[in-house]
Amino acid sequence: MSEAQLHTHIIRAGSVKENNESLAGNTLLTDNLWRGAGLALVIMLWQVGVNLGWINSFLMGSPVGIAGEAWRLIQSGQLLDDTVATVSATVMGFLLGSILGSVAGLMLWFSRTTARIIDPFMVALNGLPKIALAPMIIIWFGSGMFSKVMLAFVATFVVALLTAYQGTHQIDRNLINLMRSLGASRREIFSKVVAPATLPWIISAFRLNIGFALIAEIGGEFISSDRGLGRMIFVSGNLFNLNAVWVGVIMLMIVAIVLYVIVSQVAKRLLPWEKEPK
Amino acid sequence: MNAPMFNSTTLAENKSVSWPLLQSVISFDGVNKTFSMPDGGNVKVIEDITLDIKHEEFVSIVGPSGCGKSTMFNIIAGLLEPSAGTITLRGHDPKRGARIGYMLQRDLLFPWRTIIDNVCLGLEVQGMPKTQRYEIARDYLARYGLADFAKQYPNTLSGGMRQRVALIRTLITEPDLILLDEPFSALDYQTRLVLEEEIVSILKEAHKTVVLITHDIGEAIAMSDRVAVMTQRPTSVKKIYDVGLSRKLGSCLKARSDARYQTFFDSIWNDLDIQISGGES
Repeated sequence: MSEAQLHTHIIRAGSVKENNESLAGNTLLTDNLWRGAGLALVIMLWQVGVNLGWINSFLMGSPVGIAGEAWRLIQSGQLLDDTVATVSATVMGFLLGSILGSVAGLMLWFSRTTARIIDPFMVALNGLPKIALAPMIIIWFGSGMFSKVMLAFVATFVVALLTAYQGTHQIDRNLINLMRSLGASRREIFSKVVAPATLPWIISAFRLNIGFALIAEIGGEFISSDRGLGRMIFVSGNLFNLNAVWVGVIMLMIVAIVLYVIVSQVAKRLLPWEKEPK
Repeated sequence: MNAPMFNSTTLAENKSVSWPLLQSVISFDGVNKTFSMPDGGNVKVIEDITLDIKHEEFVSIVGPSGCGKSTMFNIIAGLLEPSAGTITLRGHDPKRGARIGYMLQRDLLFPWRTIIDNVCLGLEVQGMPKTQRYEIARDYLARYGLADFAKQYPNTLSGGMRQRVALIRTLITEPDLILLDEPFSALDYQTRLVLEEEIVSILKEAHKTVVLITHDIGEAIAMSDRVAVMTQRPTSVKKIYDVGLSRKLGSCLKARSDARYQTFFDSIWNDLDIQISGGES
């Protein structure tokens, strides 16, 4: 390739990217405008419906009622307490399960025999809705935070393990042969090829696991708990305080989005080579 | 690109100097390979190959599709053992980690490594400290016009550039033999012609012995000193052509436009005995 060719290649790549960016900027803005307008319309219709008596606010809640309830829960500090409780248990269980699971899955690369033997058990455990284990885990570990951490751990561990292990199977044989031809040891092949090649898989398991950890956490709180957003939703629902239920649900949505964004940002840092070509 | 790559005059002058050096780099002596199938049967893929490749020689192995070229590749690369016969590399058995560098159709650059770290891979495995291997790698990258890309990831480079990085990664460990397995087949035609030229001149300059495995007759004629034409499976050497056009004319492109090119092409095509209607397996 000549110097001139190289340059045209680079310039072409650069201009394409610029176009994409400005295009993405414009559509993002209009998309967000539409989203905001749609949401505002739904909330407005909801409130108008309640005011005109078309919607039963006792069964559905109402935007004004939700706002008032939210303000009350914020001022009393209960919303913050519950959010902190739920988030910390979720994050601890999520990190513990995802990290240990990924490490275990990677380690299985070293022993095909072990992997083959435990494979059906892992598949069975993976198929099991982990929330079914909640009653047992609560009996073993009590109704406090620790049992919720364990639930989130169980919910995320197997997913991380299976994903990481499957990732090690997708590695191009030729990359490993190349390392062999250079005289690399098994440990070097692991650290220089297997682990980095599996990283995108591990990251995608982390993305999924944020959701699984939250499901396990909220399910556990429904069953038995002294704190947390799940407990708040459950208790308020039993008391037919629908406005408080809505506050809990909305708060959970925010928590889920924030956690997902954090994981995605960390993922971007960890996978710099997956950036758009410059 | 930079001057040394198309320095065809040095190439042309070489012909009268020290070639052929008669020292053998790799020799096949009655090499056979049979695979046993899960159903108990045996499939003979390679039947008695005897071939001797000399120092600084560029030899192509051309065969019909499915004739066992990749088995030959794996045996030369030390990834498979022959069932019978011996293969010696500079008088030794090419065990794992022997001094063979190879380059495949796919560049096999590690996407998570920057260009310089990809280039350094072999030195890193050898245990060379980072500052030292970076110094060597920078030198190589500069020589082949890739210095500006040292810190970039492979996905930012074009196919031809990636193949050049792969070649540098192969060269940096200074192997005795360079093994090329269809290295250009994923590239577009123009890039392929440019890269053919470049790689031949880089390898000649570095005094490397090269085995090119390909199904592309034209590529083999344009680049090689000798072309070994293989039979259908179980494969053996059917005929060896002394081509040497690029070495005599100083360029692969000139080799392609030489009158003898077409003669070689027709002759090799007939040897391959490809049935158009029956389809190649």
